[in-house]
Amino acid sequence: MTKITLNGREIEVDASKPLIAACEENGVDVPRYCYHPGLSPEGSCRICQVEVSEGGRPPRVVVSCRTPITEGMVVNTETPEAHETRRQCLEFLLKNHPLDCPICDKAGECTLQDYSFAEGQTEGKTEEPRRKLEKRMDLGDVIVLDQERCILCTRCVRYQEEVTKKPELTNAGLASNTYITTFGERPLTGNYQGNLADICPVGALTLKQFRFQARVWNLEKESSICGECSRGCSISAEVLRRNEVKRIRPLFDADVNKWWMCDTGRFAFEHFNDAERLTGGLVASGDNLLVTTTKDALARAAEVLGTGGKAAVVGSAWLSQEEAAALAALAGALGTKAVFVSPEANELKDDLLHTGDPAPNRRGLEELGLKAVSAADAAAAVAGAELAVLAGERVLAGLADENLGTAKLVTFDTGPCLAAGVEVCLPAPFHIEKVGTWLNVDGLERNLTVARKAPAGVEPLDRSLNTLHAALAGAGAQA
Amino acid sequence: MAIVKRKELSIGEKLYLPAIFRGLSMTFRQMFKKRVTRQYPEEPLPVNEVTRGQPRLAVNDDGTIRCVSCGLCEAACPAYAITIDGQETDRFIEREPERFDIDMLRCILCGFCEEACPKDAILMSDELELADFSREALIYDVERLKRPVSQLRPRLDYVYKVNERW
Amino acid sequence: MDMLISVLVILAKITCIFGGVITLAALTTLAERKVSAWIQFRHGPNRVGPWGILQPLADGVKFIYKEELVPDGANQVMFYLAPAMVAMPAMMGIAVLPFAAVSPLYQDTGPLAIANLDLSVLFILAFSGLSIYGVILGGWASNSKFSLLGALRASAQMISYELALLLSVAAILLMAGSANLVDIANDQQGSIFNWYIWKQPLAFLLFLIATFAETNRHPFDFAECEPELVAGFHTEYSSMRFALFFLGEYCAIIVMCAMTCTFFLGGFHVPFWADAPWFVQAGMFLAKICFFLFLFIWVRWTLPRFRFDQLMGLGWKTFLPLALLNLFVTGALVAAGVY
Ligand code: SF4
Ligand code: SF4
Ligand code: SF4
Ligand code: FES
Repeated sequence: MTKITLNGREIEVDASKPLIAACEENGVDVPRYCYHPGLSPEGSCRICQVEVSEGGRPPRVVVSCRTPITEGMVVNTETPEAHETRRQCLEFLLKNHPLDCPICDKAGECTLQDYSFAEGQTEGKTEEPRRKLEKRMDLGDVIVLDQERCILCTRCVRYQEEVTKKPELTNAGLASNTYITTFGERPLTGNYQGNLADICPVGALTLKQFRFQARVWNLEKESSICGECSRGCSISAEVLRRNEVKRIRPLFDADVNKWWMCDTGRFAFEHFNDAERLTGGLVASGDNLLVTTTKDALARAAEVLGTGGKAAVVGSAWLSQEEAAALAALAGALGTKAVFVSPEANELKDDLLHTGDPAPNRRGLEELGLKAVSAADAAAAVAGAELAVLAGERVLAGLADENLGTAKLVTFDTGPCLAAGVEVCLPAPFHIEKVGTWLNVDGLERNLTVARKAPAGVEPLDRSLNTLHAALAGAGAQA
Repeated sequence: MAIVKRKELSIGEKLYLPAIFRGLSMTFRQMFKKRVTRQYPEEPLPVNEVTRGQPRLAVNDDGTIRCVSCGLCEAACPAYAITIDGQETDRFIEREPERFDIDMLRCILCGFCEEACPKDAILMSDELELADFSREALIYDVERLKRPVSQLRPRLDYVYKVNERW
Repeated sequence: MDMLISVLVILAKITCIFGGVITLAALTTLAERKVSAWIQFRHGPNRVGPWGILQPLADGVKFIYKEELVPDGANQVMFYLAPAMVAMPAMMGIAVLPFAAVSPLYQDTGPLAIANLDLSVLFILAFSGLSIYGVILGGWASNSKFSLLGALRASAQMISYELALLLSVAAILLMAGSANLVDIANDQQGSIFNWYIWKQPLAFLLFLIATFAETNRHPFDFAECEPELVAGFHTEYSSMRFALFFLGEYCAIIVMCAMTCTFFLGGFHVPFWADAPWFVQAGMFLAKICFFLFLFIWVRWTLPRFRFDQLMGLGWKTFLPLALLNLFVTGALVAAGVY
């Protein structure tokens, strides 16, 4: 630990990190473009200027991301000189920037905007035309590059080299003609391209999928957990006008995903916006399913399950610990043991984040004693029973190709069940709409929070299951 | 602070009658003066470029819309009257609105949208009349809002002139 | 047969006179709005019919279609009754107004009036005194403090000014020696200088001002008094019942105007044309009434409202002594044979 003075405050910092990191840890924000805590420092943008004096020498202005920390250093981030230097750097960075904020997807979360505003850099002095470069360069399926907007911080180049270990991007050209491109203009590859759009401090690298979809200040950003593999990355789910999930981005989580997430998880949100979403109960009547309230459908479900007979209880791999416990208790009341449909491993496994196992709560469910069964085995169990409870997000999708026989089905899912024996369909929330716990592949608790409110009529699944259980117990006590 | 004594009235004044008659003759004379009320539907209001009527979207001479759906007017609107969804276009400007709704019942004609617009795309027109039979019909969509820029030119020039003062 | 005819004649007279007065009341509401508009450089109602002449009709239709609201806690019976109790006495006064010296109707002797009572002056004054009950009951039954305050003010005001009114009328009765409106009118026949207004200028002034107070008109409209009491005693009224209050108010004004004409301006008599045909006389009478109606409106849009204590002071400390004095002087002059 090294002692330094930061803005008049004596603090102890870790000398192995650059000065800018020490500032950040102590609550002092220093502007930065090229510096990213997850990448090696480079020092190309020069915006992170602060005033430093060492060993009693007169202070001078240096870039904080490449200045090593020394004992007794006196750092001042807010002196007029530091501000003026930053402002001048900004003037250079903006020299060739097209200033097309009105059409730029980054506008609103662009640090070039933020720091220009903060440092008061409002006017340019140049009269020469700005650089003309490629504005819609297609970098594969995920990313669009606007070379004019790029400020050449090279975060993207370093990300490809250091994180994905796929050096596909480079800066070409010399001096003021430098630009970012791919080698041989080949498209980018891999499952981690989306992070480029997050780390690019300006709107040069943007997501194709999110292109012109929404203005970022209209998005409500709430934290949640990605449900596409058993890693359980922290995400921010961003919702437009209270209903539509428009974008998913990683949230920093030191223990799990750091700053990153894979493209599989990033783009897996269309099903959250399903217009056919089940928001009330459905009750079978003859060959049809009649729409009713969740409450009435629950009562009907209790009736159906109260008739007795051999039962099967099948959950999904997306159940939270709380829901799984409720389901197990219900299974006990029906005289059976709950199992969960285990999705098959896919080929997305890599050594960065994706585990190749699409079941986000496998570990937790197994700890609770739910057995993992294949879809075929689960279907066979259902077909062999007279009554069956299928519960959890995607449980019906998992069993979609299987023959469920003629057992009377009570289902809890985000959509309706159309199998032959269906009696009652009840709605269930998506995992971004509920509070609960998952255990990820390493046994770490992943806390689900409500990133988007479930539509009216959709009750938390554990509550529905407990109500059903209580109704059954009550009926049993009366009988 | 000064204490002001009320004026003592003379007998004649105390009778009030002369004053009353003066008042009556005064109002009587008014009756034959020129009427100032504007007979509205027959006599429309005078409009010019200073009139801050309903917002309209300017369309370039080549038929393309000026708006790039940047959402600044949506953000500036204090009445939350504007809803915009963007989409990509092949034009150089890359982006245009897919949906641009102004709920005219919410709009308070404040002109903040005009002020916020970086593209001179939304302008306060001289259209003032607003009546229909349903609320839905008064949510104007992009087609309903489009006006050729030539029609909005005087307002545009005026806005520039006013902005020069800042 | 004679019986039937006389009933028919009476019915015809009631229909014509009553209908005419109600129409006049309706037109007065229009005139009120028109004149106020002119005084304020406006046009006034001009959309319904030519020059807005059908506006009262449109208003009537609107009133009928409005929702009838009865406030919580209102005394239902009284609340329903009050408007009628205001409108009815005002209309009763119409019955004794003489419109011409000789009735043109078949088998109808005497003047053109629904009823030619000997005590017609007292009849009118008695009934106009009754209308205060409607106001008080309406204000009280509404269960609203604004209404109650308006009603209280109205009653205090009417009682105070009724004194001055009656005393100034008494002077006229002394001079005419009769309480019959026709006799009073006949006494002013012939030259314009036979009008009592020349002999009784003070009584004329007192009577005129007291009628303003009696009918709750500006500058004495304390019963309504919008700035303080919302709308006074009829704050809680809506729809046709509200319209009835209005109708009553305007009928009372018309009756008061007719009395002023009869007492001081020769009534239905045409100056310098003693035996003018009945329709000229009726027209003359109407013209005189209309002048006073115009005066009522004109004053309303000219003068500001009094303060309530000023109103009471004026009534008790000025009008009452003056009216008494006037009565004594008149009595003395009549006794001395000057008048
Ligand atoms: S594209 Fe973005 S991240 Fe890459 S160098 Fe340019 S500004 Fe930096
Ligand atoms: S004029 Fe004002 S209220 Fe109307 S749309 Fe524009 S910003 Fe909104
Ligand atoms: S501010 Fe102008 S360019 Fe931006 S969305 Fe509104 S109208 Fe379109
Ligand atoms: S952040 Fe330090 S130079 Fe770019």
